[in-house]
Amino acid sequence: MRDNCYLCSGYPAFNVFDMKNIRNFSIIAHIDHGKSTLADRILEITGLVRKTSMDQMLDSMDLERERGITIKAKSVRIPYKAADGKEYVLNLIDTPGHVDFNYEVSRSLKACEGAVLLVDATQGVEAQTIANANLAFDAGLKIIPVINKIDLPNAMLDDCSLQLYTMLGLGIEDILHVSAKDGRGVAELLEAIVARIPPPSGSASDPLKCLIFDSFFDTYRGVTPHLRVLSGRIAPGDRIMLKSTEKTFEVEEVGYFSLGLARSELLRAGEVGYAVALIRNAGEIHVGDTIVSADHPEVTAIPGFRMSQPMVYCGIYPIITSDYAKLGAALEKFKLNDSSVVFEKENSAALGYGYRMGFLGMLHMEIALERLRREYEQDIIATMPSVIYRVICLNGEVLMLDNPSKFPPEGQIDHIEEPIIRTRIIVPSDYVGPCMELSDAKRGVLVGIEHPDDRRAILVYDLPLADMITDFYDRLKSVSRGYASMDYEMNGYRAADLVKVDILVNNGPVDALSYIAPREGAATRGRALIHKLSKTIPKHLFKIPLQAAIGSQIIAREDIFPRRKDVLAKCYGGDITRKRKLLEKQKEGKKKMKMVGFVEVPQEAFLSLMKIED
Amino acid sequence: MQGLYVHIPFCVSKCFYCDFYSVSDKLELMDKYLGALLSEADNYRGMDFTTLYLGGGTPSILGAERLEKMIIGLRRRFGFNYLQEATIEVNPESAGVDLLATAFAMGIRRISIGAQSLNEAELKKSGRAHNRRQVMEAMDAALSSGFRNISADIIVGLPGQTVQSLGDTITILIAAGVNHISAYCLSVEDGTAFYRCPPPDLPDEDEQAGLFQCIAGVLRKHGFVHYEISNFARPGSECLHNLNYWRGGEYLGLGPAAASHINGKRFSNAASLDLYLADPSSAVEQEERLEGTRKAGEEAMLRLRLIQEGLDMEEMTGKYGLTAVEKLEARLHELVERRMLSRDGHIFHLRPECVLTSNSVFVDVIV
Repeated sequence: MRDNCYLCSGYPAFNVFDMKNIRNFSIIAHIDHGKSTLADRILEITGLVRKTSMDQMLDSMDLERERGITIKAKSVRIPYKAADGKEYVLNLIDTPGHVDFNYEVSRSLKACEGAVLLVDATQGVEAQTIANANLAFDAGLKIIPVINKIDLPNAMLDDCSLQLYTMLGLGIEDILHVSAKDGRGVAELLEAIVARIPPPSGSASDPLKCLIFDSFFDTYRGVTPHLRVLSGRIAPGDRIMLKSTEKTFEVEEVGYFSLGLARSELLRAGEVGYAVALIRNAGEIHVGDTIVSADHPEVTAIPGFRMSQPMVYCGIYPIITSDYAKLGAALEKFKLNDSSVVFEKENSAALGYGYRMGFLGMLHMEIALERLRREYEQDIIATMPSVIYRVICLNGEVLMLDNPSKFPPEGQIDHIEEPIIRTRIIVPSDYVGPCMELSDAKRGVLVGIEHPDDRRAILVYDLPLADMITDFYDRLKSVSRGYASMDYEMNGYRAADLVKVDILVNNGPVDALSYIAPREGAATRGRALIHKLSKTIPKHLFKIPLQAAIGSQIIAREDIFPRRKDVLAKCYGGDITRKRKLLEKQKEGKKKMKMVGFVEVPQEAFLSLMKIED
Repeated sequence: MQGLYVHIPFCVSKCFYCDFYSVSDKLELMDKYLGALLSEADNYRGMDFTTLYLGGGTPSILGAERLEKMIIGLRRRFGFNYLQEATIEVNPESAGVDLLATAFAMGIRRISIGAQSLNEAELKKSGRAHNRRQVMEAMDAALSSGFRNISADIIVGLPGQTVQSLGDTITILIAAGVNHISAYCLSVEDGTAFYRCPPPDLPDEDEQAGLFQCIAGVLRKHGFVHYEISNFARPGSECLHNLNYWRGGEYLGLGPAAASHINGKRFSNAASLDLYLADPSSAVEQEERLEGTRKAGEEAMLRLRLIQEGLDMEEMTGKYGLTAVEKLEARLHELVERRMLSRDGHIFHLRPECVLTSNSVFVDVIV
């Protein structure tokens, strides 16, 4: 990172800034409402970056750009000369834009005094708009409501204003209109940030207290926390302590974020920046934790800290069994980068040695697996994701199980409880019916319906998380023609009549395919899954029976008939190179499959359960 | 053992399944083409060949006069003193006595007739330019011109084909005097008419497998040996030119899209008549030289196609050295255990029941 710091030349004059000229803020929005574009435009208009063809400066991970979402929060310090002639420092703290990362968002907001709440003029207020706005209210932030995309012909300015007023209680007269795309209104927004968001409070002469709201990993300097200094000052040579673990470290370097890291002499109350303290283990740094001076360990922690808690688990296995050690090393490295994942060794009778990995949510899982494959070059098979079940045994023992294959025999189980989420679905009135049908089918319990205006409804449902992580969101989008948006939070456990379904491939049980399902409809789903598997697992040279079973009772069976023809007929002359390449391609395809006994099983098979229609 | 392949990229029309390189709208360029061909041959002047194969496209479309001119031209440039076999592919509609007599007179002793089927409906649905009568006439013409080595190409899996129709095709061809049959399973290739518009009565893979097994049985009963995955011959009538391919041998290919294997390097000409005519020497498009282990894997893949002859690992070790074949040999033993190969000392054979699923063997053999 040091090499990349083209801006870290000496100690810039920012440190002489008066705290009252600092504004710390976030931009919060529903996905695709233009958060990153607005951030780009702000950087451009303030002159921090020149107008460039490279879009979305803040999203630096490839995956983020591909998916159009921000995964890791990042921040940037923007010098700004306001209309009043004074020089200000604006710290824009970027937040991840997905419900999986709600806790991270809330911590980022804790580092701010204000938030720009962005709403797409063509979409209006959506579920995550509300969820994020609530997080901002809870953090006590000053909210600047902004309607974006006013350049679009189908912008509905009045409707959006009304929604912001009725659904969030924001003053219509406070709403600004911008087009992040063409820059209209962004100058006014910058003025509003200076005028409306209060400067940070806290005294630089008090003992040190910092909030960690993010971190990044650098091979040479270890884990570097992103901080908001709430009081006191932090400088190289200081000894600091992490409140959660009471571990102490010596500060090597502090600085702030420009387009790279910009080293500075110290950070004072009100400022946002980073501190290098040679923290080797990513597990030491937890978002939301408090840093205090080792000389003042009595300073209290910032409330609301919790360790990130995985919600969704899946098994990951190397495709080639002997790559197990390599996979372990990759996971260790990965964890340094993303401390919110957890993993532990797991052994599957069918798949061999692998790991059980926990994620904050489904999106987090997808991103993490994709990064393992792409950035860490691991050929892996991921099994069906599972939630954590609470299994109450007849002997009174309570087991928290994230892996269906670890379930005790049915005879030992008193009952099973599953995690429940409370979800808020915002949907145009026309689609309320289909959305409710879907939620009911997914074992949802309606908690309430609100009608914020005459065109939209807010459905509040309690849903099993397990159903949520299969295909609920996709189905919701499809039954509402893409109009519904949703947000959710955990809402405890609920008892349910669940059974474990085992899948047998070629007469052997494949533990990695077993799953937990409601007893009602288990047979139908089992049949659908077996059918799906029969289409996913390629034909072999022998017959492969596929069976689903509850205990010893077979509930579904289909056979994959042997492949009778797989031959290159014409192979002579010039064809040889081409034919060899065809075989190589076939060989590549085989490499992406996992050998389960004598059967080659492709990745899709392990996720079949998520793809079956009810 | 070194082969010469000459590609004649002209056809009267394009068959619906065919993805070989040929043109049917530029027949007027044939004379010019012969000039280009001989000028490409100039680059290899002085080479000696033991087999000659005129393939296509449709070599018989050239007519007697051009054929004679071409062979004389090739003779001037190459040595054929040790020639063991010379084959010309002919299509029934252009295999008249005139052409065949000329071919025989020029020293060609083997012909391969593109019959494909003797069933009129199958021929029509596949876009063939001939009918059953023309195949029989071509057979007669070949015999009367003196040919005793006659092969017929047939396709397994034509639209509407049945065990009955395919069996008829085979038995009639055998009765008419063929001593070699190449039976290719139809595969619908990208860019063909069948790919764009698949006929509804195209047999599926399982049905193809059934059809193939049926004719393999018929041919065996008539004394034909299944010597390569797609080839059957009366003992002693195997195609030497093709055997050379499957034994990893070397050969020169002339003409657009023709491939060569010389001094361990495989290369092929661009599949473009225009490019070739513009400059026959600069048409080389793809080049590949595999080393050690990979080359051995390729040869093993080819040699295992020879069902009777098999793959002699002692010979391979002598050719490539112990280190290059070590892993290959281990994989072969694994395949024996999986009952896909059989082993007789140091010779490995594809198991007969695995012939039609041999790709699953070959993917493990290549590196």
